[in-house]
Formats: sequence, structure tokens, C-alpha cells
Amino acid sequence: MRELSFEGTTVRFGSGRSALTAVDGVDLTVPAGSVVGLVGESGSGKSTLAKAAVGLVPTTSGEIRLDGAPLRTRRDRRRLQLVFQDPHASLDPRMTVGESIAEALRGRRRSARAAEVARLLELVDLDPARARSLPSGLSGGQRQRVALARALAAEPEVVLADEITSALDVSVQGSVLNLVRDLQRRLGLTILFISHNLSVVRYVSDVIAVMYLGRIVEAGPADAVLSSPRHPYTRTLLDAAPAFGVALDDPVPADDPRLDTEAPSPHDPPTGCRFHRRCPIGPLTRPERTICAETDPQPGAPDRPHRSACHFASETLTLEVPAR
Amino acid sequence: MTTTPVTPPTAPVTPSAAPATSAVAAWVGNPWARFLLRRTGRLLVSLAVLVTLAFLMIHLIPGDPVRAALGVTAPPDLVEARREALGLNDPIGVQLADYVRALFAGDLGTSMTSGVSVSETIGQRLPATASLAVAAFVVVMLAAVPLGLAMAVLTRGGRRRGAELGFTSTSAVGAAIPEFLLAVGLVFVFGVTLGWFPVAGRGDAASYVLPVVALALGPALLMARIVRVEALAVMDEDFVRTARAKRLPPLRVHLRHVFPNALTSTLTIGGLLLSGMIVGTVLVENVFAWPGMGMTIVSSILAKDYPVVQGIVLVYGAAVLLVNLVVDVLLALADPRSTIREG
Amino acid sequence: MGRDQWRAALRNPVGAAAAGLLVLLAVLAVVAPILWGDAAEETDPAALSQGSTSEHPLGTDALGRDIMLRVLVATRYSLGLALLATAICVVAGVLLGVLPAVLGRRAGRLVTGTVNLAVAFPGLLLALFFAVIFGVGARGAVLAIGLAGAPSFARLVQTNVAAVSGRDFVAAARLAGVGRFRLVARHLLPNIGEPLVVNATVMAGSALLAFAGLSFLGLGVQPPAYDWGRLLGEGLDRIYINPAAALAPGVAVVVAGLAFTLLGESIAQVVGVRAVRRRRPPVGDQAAAAAAAGSAPETPGDTVLVADDLRVGFPAPRGGWTYPVDGVGLTVRPGETVGIVGESGSGKSLTALAVAQLAPDTADVTAARLEVAGVEPRGRPESEVRELLGTKVAMVFQDPMTSFNPSMRVGTQLAEVTRVHEGQGRRAALARAVDRLRTVRVPAPERRAHQYPHEFSGGMRQRAMVAMGLMSTPELIIADEPTTALDVTVQRQVLRLLKDVQAETGAAVVLISHDIAVVAQLCERVVVMYAGRVVEELPVGQLGAAAHPYTRALLASVPDLATDRERPLATIPGRPPDPADRPEGCAFAPRCAFADDACRVRPGLAAVAPEQRAACWHPRSQPLDLVLDVLSGGRS
Repeated sequence: MRELSFEGTTVRFGSGRSALTAVDGVDLTVPAGSVVGLVGESGSGKSTLAKAAVGLVPTTSGEIRLDGAPLRTRRDRRRLQLVFQDPHASLDPRMTVGESIAEALRGRRRSARAAEVARLLELVDLDPARARSLPSGLSGGQRQRVALARALAAEPEVVLADEITSALDVSVQGSVLNLVRDLQRRLGLTILFISHNLSVVRYVSDVIAVMYLGRIVEAGPADAVLSSPRHPYTRTLLDAAPAFGVALDDPVPADDPRLDTEAPSPHDPPTGCRFHRRCPIGPLTRPERTICAETDPQPGAPDRPHRSACHFASETLTLEVPAR
Repeated sequence: MTTTPVTPPTAPVTPSAAPATSAVAAWVGNPWARFLLRRTGRLLVSLAVLVTLAFLMIHLIPGDPVRAALGVTAPPDLVEARREALGLNDPIGVQLADYVRALFAGDLGTSMTSGVSVSETIGQRLPATASLAVAAFVVVMLAAVPLGLAMAVLTRGGRRRGAELGFTSTSAVGAAIPEFLLAVGLVFVFGVTLGWFPVAGRGDAASYVLPVVALALGPALLMARIVRVEALAVMDEDFVRTARAKRLPPLRVHLRHVFPNALTSTLTIGGLLLSGMIVGTVLVENVFAWPGMGMTIVSSILAKDYPVVQGIVLVYGAAVLLVNLVVDVLLALADPRSTIREG
Repeated sequence: MGRDQWRAALRNPVGAAAAGLLVLLAVLAVVAPILWGDAAEETDPAALSQGSTSEHPLGTDALGRDIMLRVLVATRYSLGLALLATAICVVAGVLLGVLPAVLGRRAGRLVTGTVNLAVAFPGLLLALFFAVIFGVGARGAVLAIGLAGAPSFARLVQTNVAAVSGRDFVAAARLAGVGRFRLVARHLLPNIGEPLVVNATVMAGSALLAFAGLSFLGLGVQPPAYDWGRLLGEGLDRIYINPAAALAPGVAVVVAGLAFTLLGESIAQVVGVRAVRRRRPPVGDQAAAAAAAGSAPETPGDTVLVADDLRVGFPAPRGGWTYPVDGVGLTVRPGETVGIVGESGSGKSLTALAVAQLAPDTADVTAARLEVAGVEPRGRPESEVRELLGTKVAMVFQDPMTSFNPSMRVGTQLAEVTRVHEGQGRRAALARAVDRLRTVRVPAPERRAHQYPHEFSGGMRQRAMVAMGLMSTPELIIADEPTTALDVTVQRQVLRLLKDVQAETGAAVVLISHDIAVVAQLCERVVVMYAGRVVEELPVGQLGAAAHPYTRALLASVPDLATDRERPLATIPGRPPDPADRPEGCAFAPRCAFADDACRVRPGLAAVAPEQRAACWHPRSQPLDLVLDVLSGGRS
């Protein structure tokens, strides 16, 4: 297993007025043998980043490296394997489970292939006899296990898991998460685990990176990021996560009605700090903080705690809560 | 017919540079302007391809087209003279340039058999064809859209299985009968047996009835089927459920929420059908001895009168491209999301 | 498409008739020229251009040849040429259609552009063009019709290939290192096979007709050879003398063309959506299950919603009926917030739609008792129900992106409610719409009311949806997964908005969600559904003491921000049962650790604690651990 690193990765789609910078100069390292959780809302660019890594979308600039060596050819990129969100769409409905997995195996004899497919199915807690089933005969959770087995069949250096539990029912989501955690520990996998769900990311990750409008706004050890977030967006995400024992009436900073604005468009991101129009400690609540609307905090991020893209990252984020 | 010279769009001439840049910038920034610019560009490319193909047609024919037209018994001098007159002995690039230049001047060449100017022939024949196609198109739209919508409303959610089966099978059969066979049937029933309508030639309104019906029936049934299917698909959309949740009367749900959203595909199909009907006139004209371009192109192909064929193919092709342009503009107007304008 | 589907296509009467006709034509094509080939060439100078006689039933042509025999013999030539043209068309079309997927981006775009340009021209025009190039005659016509059809077939292949290419399994195969050609052969072509077969069949029909057209014009088959089109052209000249000479070949063409087209259509129908029949289920079906039905709890005083033994059935594809909602009892008091929790397929959304009288047309809704906002909707005409419920029940749907009419301004869509139900004028209704948008804190409501839905973000659209419900003063707001499509920060805003609206208007709220944590945040009471039934209902504060094993498993299997990362998550083995194939007795039993023989009998809802009822033979009584303690403590 190796280390995956993004260096200034930028992905831009379209041109003219419809142009969209989905990923904007992302620096992120996934250390060998660890799980990095990437969390963000829809449109934050987290899935695009994964697709750029495996070459499904072209990068506009920046470098993606495996152990320092840039990934250039298709062969290079095969050392990364992506597991997709929807297991109903990611398996060919006309191929048996065994055929789908075998396709990813390289240079083996037929008999060796069958044995390897059986081994992989067992690895993901499926009956090897399932190799002859068509995907339509499997449940969502089982399909997602097959998708994981196929990814592992290619003997990847890094696995990218893109919202792999979002399409599953809540009652099977847990078993897939258990499997991911278990596989990672047994095989020492390097995983970039992408999800919009902070609780899910927290459960599997060693490191958490938070993405907002194409940029990583905070990254650090999972416990540290969750217990003392350094970016107000992370704080907002934490406060919004529905949890038992947290009532809607318990106000959080982001509930301030002054922040009740339209979400910014990724086609036309705000100037300065991209979060300033929704920020509970930004210019909307503290008019003296004009710097947020004027100066991009991204360049100073590496020197701040948790590489936070916030001018006020060192400020303690325990804030007074606005009266309702 | 005279061909209007196509002038390429030119930048507006402005006295000073600075306002010009901002005017151009504003113009380029306007999505409508960009849409029209792009769409016009596409039309020009298509026209160029059409003209090139019409020109190449005569060169793609295996052997010597002049010899083929004049027959094996024609003396070699005559063939050579005709080749020279048609410019076939020049290098192909020169020929193409001459052809395009003549086209801009409205000159489509001269018939090899009658010696009459091709543009003059087309000018005489075009009105007959155009009036037939337009009349049939109007009939299609007036009949098919209300019929399709009504059938969708009546048969939604698996209601009135009998009516649905009747409509789908009748329309499938009707739409599959080609116009020229229908024409023959109509001639037999209404011309020969009943003697209600004239069966040949173009004259008063009565002479239009059978050709228009022959041309319009199939497309009208097809259109009605498509309108029904589209409307049924829209009825399954979430926003129609919203409209029902608002407890709106069914008529309002259908007219305000369903129909406008089924319009896009109706327009697209309508355009395709009109294109098809323009060319479909070829067969119908030959059944009814209708003095239009369709009669002319068939006799010219049989007589190997290539300049006439070239000219008529150009006119049909240009008409089709024009219809497509109009449909695209209408689609852009009808769709508030203006995906067409953007894409 | 499986063998079963082919069989189904042939079982369909239209498909069967078309297939039978094609078999007959094939036999004719083989046999007719052998039997009557010579007789059809025989000229009879004594019977030139005759009408129908006993010797020549359909008359004779100008040379005295028998027209009936000629029509029969022409079957082989007509069909053969049409199939040849179809083959050319399909081969050229598939090649052109697949090329963009194999070629690089730039070359692929060029091919696509060329095809798009060619498709704009009607097939007949292309056929005439090619007929000029390839020359008048059968060979030229085959090439012309084949090539003229190729662009539209190519376009079809391209569209289908593009649709399949965009799916994840193709991307996954690419990532697994599958090469371009194998990708086309193994993943793309097999998955577009059905539409191609259907269209090739229909194409054969149109090729036949096109060929007849060209021959009729004199551009196709040349004498002495003859096909149906040629016979038709010759016959038309004498239609006054002998109509049969024109009509017979015409009928032959139509019949053969239809056979292909209808076979294609019936295959398409079988491949596509099976049409559902609208029928009533037999009464016995329901009576059998009614014994153990969930009834609404006995609640004194007024209610805003009462459903007792609610069932929603659909005709099953293989006959019989399935009941996604199978005996649900539900009571909501005025001003109460009730959450319905369940996985996909639990029937929670359908329950909501059914009580709101919005179930799909094909559904059969029955209930022992149903009262919505004081109205008993059953047995009343639709228009009366609309009038009665129009201002009393508001709905908020899951996907704000698709729940607004894309071609109508947002303000107009809101104003419509007041205009229809309260007869207000356009201006006054729009003013109220703006006011309501302001109530739900949509910024700049005057401007927003004039925008189209696509100009709103998801969160703003969901607010507008809530505002739409507030156009009148609802007694009941039913929100079906209102935040599932939204980001978590927006979800909080929408939930808070619902809470505020509830507090201000006093309306009761029914919130449907798969996320028990979301429900716990907003609601006072939770109803847990599994496999079309209510398995437990309890006050939110008592979730820590949930009694049904399913409720408990649901609570424990979802990680939250306090879950112990060192311990595996609780899981529920297996999967929820299909409504068509539910186990007897307790539907959860096959996945339940506590199930025993008693669970083969369906449990009814029974009180396990004050205000708490569970449908379980073995209700759990010990409290759940960790966060839930915080919950019950923090709430009370």
C-alpha cells in the first residue's frame, strides 16, 4: 500500500458562463495504510476529486501522485480503484458476479481465476457460490460487497470509496461500514472514504478532510477535527448533524437568521472566503470582519491549525448563540 | 426560383473602438445572441455540406454521366461538347467554385433534356409542393395534438383499457401505412368508386383533399401517439403530483401543468414530421399527378437529367434545414430553462 | 432480454398474429416462385388487361399475365430485397453508432456530428440521392435504402450507447482495465441489444415499404423483374379498369410491412413497462388478513387524521395483488407532530399518499375507517374531496427539484392555490404568495416569486414548497422525506422551518423519514413501520426504551457522532421482505434474534408501556445503552 497525494489538483468543467471549477487547487494526502474521510455537501467537489484520481474526469492542473510518482497513464491509474455510490448501477446487469470480478483480475489462468473470485467473495463475507448469480438476484448490501470485491481484485494500492453507503437502506448500511473497517484493518488498505455524512465518515476515518465549494477548508486527525473544529463550516456541519439528544430548539450559531441566504453557486463562488456569506463568525454577523469578503484565506491555510482556510482559525469556536 | 445570397454575419461597424468592445461584449454575453450565432453557424455548415454533396452527386456516379444521359448511341463529339458545356472537363476544384458562384447568382444550371433553366423549373413547381406540404402539416397539428392529449387524459393510470387498445392499435396500423399506398386506396374509394374528389392534377380546393389526407393521416396518427405517450410521462412527474396535492381541478392540472411540459417533444417531433412530409410529397405527387417538384425529380432521375435532380435535391435539403432551424428557435423560446440555448 | 420475454411477446395477440403472418410470408417466399414462377410469366394474348374472371381472380396485366400469381411470386423478391437493405442499414448503423465509443474524443465527435447532420434529412431524400449515385435498379435501390436508413439507426445506437456508457458499471469496467473493444463487446452491445432488435424489426418493415415506394416510382426493380412496388405502379395506371391490379400488391405491401412493425412494437411493449390492469382485488383477499390488522388506538376527543386498517394494494405482475401497505392504523391529534420511520419498501410514503387521497391511479385503497381533517373522503365524488381537502391538507414532497412545474413561475404556482380554492384575483393571490415566501424566509421574495423553479437552490425550493402549503391555513401538513434530497445544513433549516410553522399555525405535522434521528429531532411521537405494517409507536422521549427488536436494531445500527468507533456497528441480517412475498406471521421474524415459533402468528399492536404499543410477541424491556440515555434524560 502506498501514499496517495493530490497537489494543487484543479478540475474545471465547461467554458464561458457555464464554466464551473468543481475542484479548486486541492492539496490532500492519504497516508499509506490509513483511512482519510472526505466530507462535504453535494456540489462540494468531493466525488469529482475521486473521479479525477482514477482518470474518469480530466484534471485541469495539478498533480496526483502515488508515493511521489505522478499518475499519468491508464496503467498507473489502475493502481487506484473506485467503488461507486449506487451498487445497482455499478454492476453490469448481464454479467454474473463472478464474471464482473474476474474482469478485474489480471493475467491468470481460468482455474486460478475461479479460485481467486471465490477467495475475494469470501473476503467480503459472501458465499462463493454467489459467483454464478446475476446482480439482480442480490440485495443492495450484497451488491456493494461485490463492488468492493471487484475493486480489490485489481490489487489496488489505494481504494477510493465514493458514498458507498448512501444508496443503501439504513439497516444494511451498518454491515457495509463494518466490512470496510474490518477489511482495512485486516489488509492494511489505504482508503479515501467520501461521504456527505459526518457520522459515517467519523466512524471509519483516521483523518478527516472537509470540503466546501471545491476546496479543502479543514483537515486533521479525526478526533481533533471533530472535537475542536478550526473552520466555522466544520462547526456548522457538526451542529447540523441530526443526533439523539440534540433538539432543533437548541440553537446553534448557524441558526442566526442573518445567515438565511441562498447557498452560493459553484458557477460564481463568492470573493474572499467562499464561506463568508454563510459564516456564523463572518461579516454577516460581525460587520468589522471585512477581510473575509476581501481576502482569500486559502493561501495561509498550511500554517494554521488543521490547515484551516479561515482567517480566524485560531479563535476558539465556542460562540455565543444568538437569541431567537 | 432565385437563391438569396447568404451573407456571413459581420461585426457591427462602430465609430470608436471602446464602445464597440463593450457592445460586442454585451452582445456576446447575451445567451440569446450566442444561441442564434451558434445556431446560424450550424445552419451554414449544414448548407455547405448539402451544397457540396449535391455538387459531388454528379461526380460519384460511376462512369460518364453525360454518356449515361445521352445514351450509348450518342456521337462522341456531342458527348464531348456537352461535357465541355457542363464544365466537366475542368479540375474539380474549379468546378466546385463555379458551381457555388453560380448558386449565389441564383443559377442552378440548365436541364440536359429540355434546355430550360433549372431555377425556372423549380420556380414553377415549388408552389404546388409547398402548398401541399403546408396544408398537410396544418391538418396534422390541428388533429393530432388535441387527439393525443384527450387520449392521454382518458387512458391515464390504466383506465379505459378498451379505448387505449383501440387507439394504440388503430394508430399503429394507420401510422405504418405509407402515404403512397394510402393514396392509392383513397383514389380507389373516393375517386373511382364514389367519385367524390378528383384523383389527378392540381386545381380547386377539392383537388387538395385526397393528396392532403394521404400525406397527413400517417403523421397525424404518429403524432397523436407521441403526444399521448409524452403527456402520460409528464403525468407521472412529481410536479403533477404536487398539482394534485394542491387539489386543482383536473382540467387545470392537464392544461397548465401537463401540456406545457409535453410541448418540447411535440415540437421536436412536429419538426421531424414536417421534414418528412416535405419529402413525402414526392410519392403522393406521383400518385395524384400533382405538378410539383416530386413529379419533376422522379422523371429527371429516370431521364438522367442530373442538373435538375441536383437543383431539386438542394431545395428539399434547404427546406429541411430551415424547418430544423425554426424548430430549434421555437424550442429555445418555449423552454424557460433554455437548455438548448446553453448547450 | 430473456427467453421468457420473447415468449411473452408472442403470447400477446398482436405479436402472435404478426409473427404468424411473417412465418406465412416466409413460407410463401420460399414456395411461391417454385410453384407458380413459370405460370406468373406466362403471357396470354387472349386475355390482355382483363378485370376479374374465374380464370384470373385478380385479372391480368397488359401482357395477359395473371396478377394474383405475380403478387404471390413477388413475395420472395420483395422480402429478400427489403431484408438485404435492412442488413446493410443495421450493419452500417451499428458501426457508425459504436465508432464514437471506440475512437478518441475528437474523432468520435466528428462521427457523431456527421450522423446528426445526416439524420436531419428524411430517409426518402437520402434514398433518392443514393439512387441517383448507385443508378436506377434493384442493386441501386438496396444500397440506397440501406444507406439512407443507416444514419437514424446509427443515431439510435449512439443514444443507447451513450446512455449505457454513462452508467457506473462501464466506468467500473474501464477502471478495472477492460480495453475499448472488449468494453463494446461485453458491456455496451449486450446492454443495448433489446432496443436494437426491436428497431431492426421495425426497420425491416419500413425498408419493405420504402422499396415498394422506389419501385412504384420506377426507380427500384426494373422489368422484366418485378416486386410488389413495381406491380403497384403498373396497376395504378389502370385503376379505373381493374382496381384489383393496384390494390392487391398494395395490400400485400401493407400487410407485410405491418407484420414487421407490429412484431417490433409488441416486443418493445414486453421489454418496456408492462401495462397494468385496473381492477378491483377480490374481497376475500382482504378479509383473510383483516383479523390481525392494526387498528387506530382508541383516542378520545378530536383528531385531525384517523386511519384504521388502511390497505393499499397493487395488481401484481404475475397476477393477484400485493399490499405494500397492509393494515396500518394511524391517529394524529390536532397540532401534534408525528414521525413515520421505515426503510424503503416499508410502505411509509404510500401510507401518507393514501391518507391524502393522492395514491397512484392503479392503487386500490381500502380502510375500515379513514378521516382526514374531519372529512371522510371515501364515497364522495372526487370534486367534493378536492374542495374539502384543498385548504386543509398541505403536502411537502421529497425532491424539491422535481416537485415544481419547471415551466411555470414559482409565484404563479403558489398563487394558483388561492385562486382556485378561494377565488382570489391574480394580483391578490400573488401578493399572498410573496407574503408566504417571506414567512418561510426566502430572501427577496418579490423577485423570487417571478423566477422559475430552476433558478432556486434545493433548500429554497423546499421552503417555497412549505410556503405553498401555507397559502391557506392547513390543519395537517404531510411532509414525505422533505429533507432527504438536501444537504445536512439545509436539512436543519427546513426542519426548523417546519417546527416554526407548526408552532405558528397549530397545524399537525406528519413527517415521513428513513432517518430515525431526524424524526426524533422534530416529532413528539414516532411510528415505526416495517413491511407495510406499524411495528411500534411510542413517544420520542421513550425511544431509549423501544420494545420492538426492529426499532432497537434501527437505533443501534446507525452511527452518529457519539458512536463508539472501536466497536462494530449493530447490524440486521438479511433484507426487508418483498411485499409480494412476505413471511407469514411477524414479517421481521426471519431477521430477528428473538424469533421463535410464536412469531409465526402475526402479532397485533399491544400496549407495552403508557403511550407505547408494539407489535411483537417478545417485546424487549431493558433500556438501550449510551446516547439514548442522554436523549430520554435531556427531553423530559
